[in-house]
Amino acid sequence: MDDVTGLLWRILAGPLCAAVVIVLICRRSPFYADFSPVMERTAGPVIAIAFLLGSTVFAWLALDAVKAGNVMTSPTYRFLDVGDLEVNVNWSLDRLSVMMAMIVCVVSLCIFVYSVGYMHGDPGINRFFAKLSFFVFSMLGIVFSGNLVMMFVFWELVGVSSYLLIGYWYQRPAAAEAGKKAFIVNRIGDFGFLLGILLVWNVTGSVDFSDIRNYLKVHSHEIGGGVLTIAALLIFCGAVGKSAQLPLHVWLPDAMEGPTPVSALIHAATMVAAGVYMLCRVSFLVFASPAAMDVIAWIGGLTALLSAVIACQQNDIKRILAYSTLSQLGYMVMAVGLSVPQVNGYMPAMFHLSTHAFFKALLFLSAGSVIIGFHHGEQDIWKMGGLWKKMPITTACFTVGLLALTGFPGLSGFFSKETILGLAHERNDDLFVLAAVTAGFTSFYMFRLLFVAFLGQPRSEAAGKVKESPWVVLGPLIVLAILSVIGGYTWMGIPGWLVGEKGLSEVPAGGNVLALAMLAFVMGLALAFAFYYGEPAEDPIKTKFPLLHTILWHKFGFDEFYLALVKYVQGGLAALCDLVDRWVIAGLGVRGTAAVAQTLGKMLQLFQTGNLQTYAFLFAAGLVIILYYVVMQ
Amino acid sequence: MIFDSYSLLNCAILTPLAFAVIVCCLRPTSAAAIRWLSILGSLLTGVLSVMIYTRFNSSDAGFQMVQKITWVAPLDLSWHVGVDGISVVMILLTGLVGFAATLVAWDVTKRQKEFYVLLMIILSGAMGMFASLDIFFIYFFHELALIPTFLMIGIWGSGQREYAAMKMTLYLSAGALVALFGLIALYVGLPADERTFDVVKLVAFAKGQPFSAGFQHLVYPLLLFGLGALVSLVPLHTWAPIGYGCAPTATAMLHAGVLKKFGLYALLRIVLPVLPSGAEDWNWLLLALLLGNIVYGGLVAMRQKNFNYLLGYSSVAHMGFAFLGIATFTYLGITGTVLLMFAHGLSAALAFALSGFFFAQTGTREMSELGGLCKRMPFIGTAIVMAGFASIGLPGFANFPSEVMVLFGAWQVKAWGVKVGGATLSWPVIVAIWGGAVLGAVYMLRAVRDVCFGVLPAKWQQLSDANFPAKLPYVVLLGALIWAGVYPRELVDTIKPAAIAVVEAMEKTKAREPLPPKPKPVQAKRAVKPAK
Repeated sequence: MDDVTGLLWRILAGPLCAAVVIVLICRRSPFYADFSPVMERTAGPVIAIAFLLGSTVFAWLALDAVKAGNVMTSPTYRFLDVGDLEVNVNWSLDRLSVMMAMIVCVVSLCIFVYSVGYMHGDPGINRFFAKLSFFVFSMLGIVFSGNLVMMFVFWELVGVSSYLLIGYWYQRPAAAEAGKKAFIVNRIGDFGFLLGILLVWNVTGSVDFSDIRNYLKVHSHEIGGGVLTIAALLIFCGAVGKSAQLPLHVWLPDAMEGPTPVSALIHAATMVAAGVYMLCRVSFLVFASPAAMDVIAWIGGLTALLSAVIACQQNDIKRILAYSTLSQLGYMVMAVGLSVPQVNGYMPAMFHLSTHAFFKALLFLSAGSVIIGFHHGEQDIWKMGGLWKKMPITTACFTVGLLALTGFPGLSGFFSKETILGLAHERNDDLFVLAAVTAGFTSFYMFRLLFVAFLGQPRSEAAGKVKESPWVVLGPLIVLAILSVIGGYTWMGIPGWLVGEKGLSEVPAGGNVLALAMLAFVMGLALAFAFYYGEPAEDPIKTKFPLLHTILWHKFGFDEFYLALVKYVQGGLAALCDLVDRWVIAGLGVRGTAAVAQTLGKMLQLFQTGNLQTYAFLFAAGLVIILYYVVMQ
Repeated sequence: MIFDSYSLLNCAILTPLAFAVIVCCLRPTSAAAIRWLSILGSLLTGVLSVMIYTRFNSSDAGFQMVQKITWVAPLDLSWHVGVDGISVVMILLTGLVGFAATLVAWDVTKRQKEFYVLLMIILSGAMGMFASLDIFFIYFFHELALIPTFLMIGIWGSGQREYAAMKMTLYLSAGALVALFGLIALYVGLPADERTFDVVKLVAFAKGQPFSAGFQHLVYPLLLFGLGALVSLVPLHTWAPIGYGCAPTATAMLHAGVLKKFGLYALLRIVLPVLPSGAEDWNWLLLALLLGNIVYGGLVAMRQKNFNYLLGYSSVAHMGFAFLGIATFTYLGITGTVLLMFAHGLSAALAFALSGFFFAQTGTREMSELGGLCKRMPFIGTAIVMAGFASIGLPGFANFPSEVMVLFGAWQVKAWGVKVGGATLSWPVIVAIWGGAVLGAVYMLRAVRDVCFGVLPAKWQQLSDANFPAKLPYVVLLGALIWAGVYPRELVDTIKPAAIAVVEAMEKTKAREPLPPKPKPVQAKRAVKPAK
């Protein structure tokens, strides 16, 4: 068994170094005045891609190392060690983490290359790549972290890189607002996550994954189901925030204000999947509590359905995809909740996570390619149309992604979605129906998008003038399209690899499940065909079912509700506290004391007339009173 | 070795004082000499503080670099300096913030000489406060550091500076007076032949013969509220926002960064080891007030429109966390508090320094008038974003490990647990995380958005970013924050023995059945007041 610690440090160090180097040297400087144009424009992307390539290679080596059975045990660095709290920077290197790391590295690499094209000419391109590299560093940190506190550390760091990248165009008020919203909503989830960590630490005495796992193996009966359920649910709060599950899903659609590569990498393929990954990482805890698993499954299922329904009436190409991401994340979370620990554990969820990373990144990048075609000026699908003639490669890639997403047989999404549906069929009939209906809606909104935006005739002047994007953009699309096609086959090894000896063959996906899934797919396609194929000028649902349209357009009113909550409850409390502070504490308390002292002084001042006779009179009066008392006593 | 170790401490106290005298002798017109000499003075002090820190042996419990020269033998009053893990970290903080503040004072344009002299005096006072082990000198240096701040706000401040200076003076003097009563009570409470100003002796004595429970019950609140006023314990906090809102930048940095920690430091150094039962009796009140700091302070911060007022309330909220660590009475919590004092000192100083930078150009700190500063000031804007994130406890900055320790320590307190479905949750921790992590994020990110992001108003198109030398103070503070955030072990290992000593002293003092109070000797009245 070799020690592969060094390998892990190298994987992590790559993107971090890239970020630091870019910040330090990619600028105008008197030291290399001649190179300034190069340093300001091209150096950043090159450095970022080079370092990421290195990390990808090391991740590949780590994969081999895990295959060869090498493990890493020793804690590498002591972060904090006080009393009962011991936090090491240690890594977990196993099948789960290396597979996730490979997904992150490969998708990031595609998106980095793509960004060169997408961000071409943007004055802040170095800043962009520095932030993107920092994100990859933090994400890999989550993947490899070996204890809860380290995971929380990187969890926050991806949160902040997401904040910075959503608000990359910080001069747009909407972008600045969306970044802030994302961070705060995530903080609400992290509030629960941190409490969960505290509870787990208090119960098991450790924050280290392997320690907790071993402790639970022996002591789970003593601890009691209630405690484990609460701990699992609190930790799940973190996943609800990061993976944008109900009721904290509201930040993800707004996050689309960021540049499209960011949406693809962070808000579709990797970061939002971190919640699912985290649940798999702490599966020993989640699986210990059936009650918590039920809650998780239902939250996932409801998120999947609700966001698929909302997606049917959105018009912004990126927002449709964002709701689709929510919906697919819901599938994954549901799959975690439905897992059968004895059979294949969290494998279905991770399997879908991996295929989704490829095809959702592909869909977003294709949408980005369309946006490039419109010179970053248009995202409304009702102003597109007819793109297939002008942008054939983009359209083809988008269609591949679409078919993978909707579960068209033979593509990667088909296998992973079938696995989840089969699992649901076996475990919980209600959720199975819900998941199948969701699949139908998925097919409906995606074909709606295809028919309206890509097929037919151009719907606006700009749509008639679009041109196919350059190869630096198309290259990554094609790579991701290939991955989206083949990602689900067993020879790619993902599903089998994840659970070791227990492979895909043990996943029950009977004929009924397959038939029902196909039925849902065809129904969605047929409905979309009926409504949208005839090139309607505006959405027929809007005219025929205005009430339904209004409800969906307002996304069931979550945003309005939260805004009201923030404005009236939090704002009201703040206003109340402010009033108290201003008038009661600073006013009555402090100034009041001052005023009392002042008034007393003023009153005493009345006696200070400066008149000798008055003083003599007062003196005499006082003397008389004293004498009176003394004598009378 | 050129120095005996203890002379390092003496040097750290006297160097700024010496430079204050030198600067005093210069003509007011020689501005450059005044500036550079002051910067040199603070640089030397900073270097000395780093030397003290590196020479400190963290594996040794107890006080190091001790020097004791008896001054007034009958009162047992002596020049007694020495450092343990807590004070050495505070001295390092003073050195760093003092250096940064002196650099930032570059923006002072009127009466520079007086300003720098006062600045050097504050620095000397702060060093003395943390290095002294004698209650008389602790009090003396405390006043030496505080009094110049009142003058600075009144003379060099902005906005309602005179009102702010008066309010702060009255508030903090009243607090100091109440604390003085408490300290005198401690002195007088000792048997006549044991009376001492020596902190080490006092703590050792209390270990052997604890004060009676009734005495502790009476005296502890005096010290808690007297010292608490300086730390802006709710409801004694209203001086802080207006004080910082009107103070000149360097003063705000030193006050929020260093001077505000005096109260916490004295609580840890003197009060907790000597009056543990009193502290336990009153802990319910402290808990209620500190949660008030965190939640109420956070909510009020949301309503602020002036950036410095917001920072003021945010520091009120953070002091709640520091008190929370103390209120746990656990080793973990107290270590966390000390690191938090260090972390908050740096991050608060950084935030005030940055707001001072743009204030010097815009002349306003009203957030509605600002916006988009990142465009014209990429460095300062980035630093503001970083300071904001440091303040809301983002990992990577020193605030994170310290808040983690405080929260984990608080979670251990059995008395605070509530049963929820079989699990024991600590309600103060829930409230504190909500206040610190969620409310903190709301107001801080709002402020960052309002100041740094969005559209740059037309009138600010001419702003310019910090040039290379002007970046230095921010780099120093940020560097220290990140160093302690990524590698907290070093500082934590330094603090640990001292934190253990505090907790052990508390345990020892409590464990023994308190002795019946000795009849108070009549001579008690002859005890001389320490200072004023």
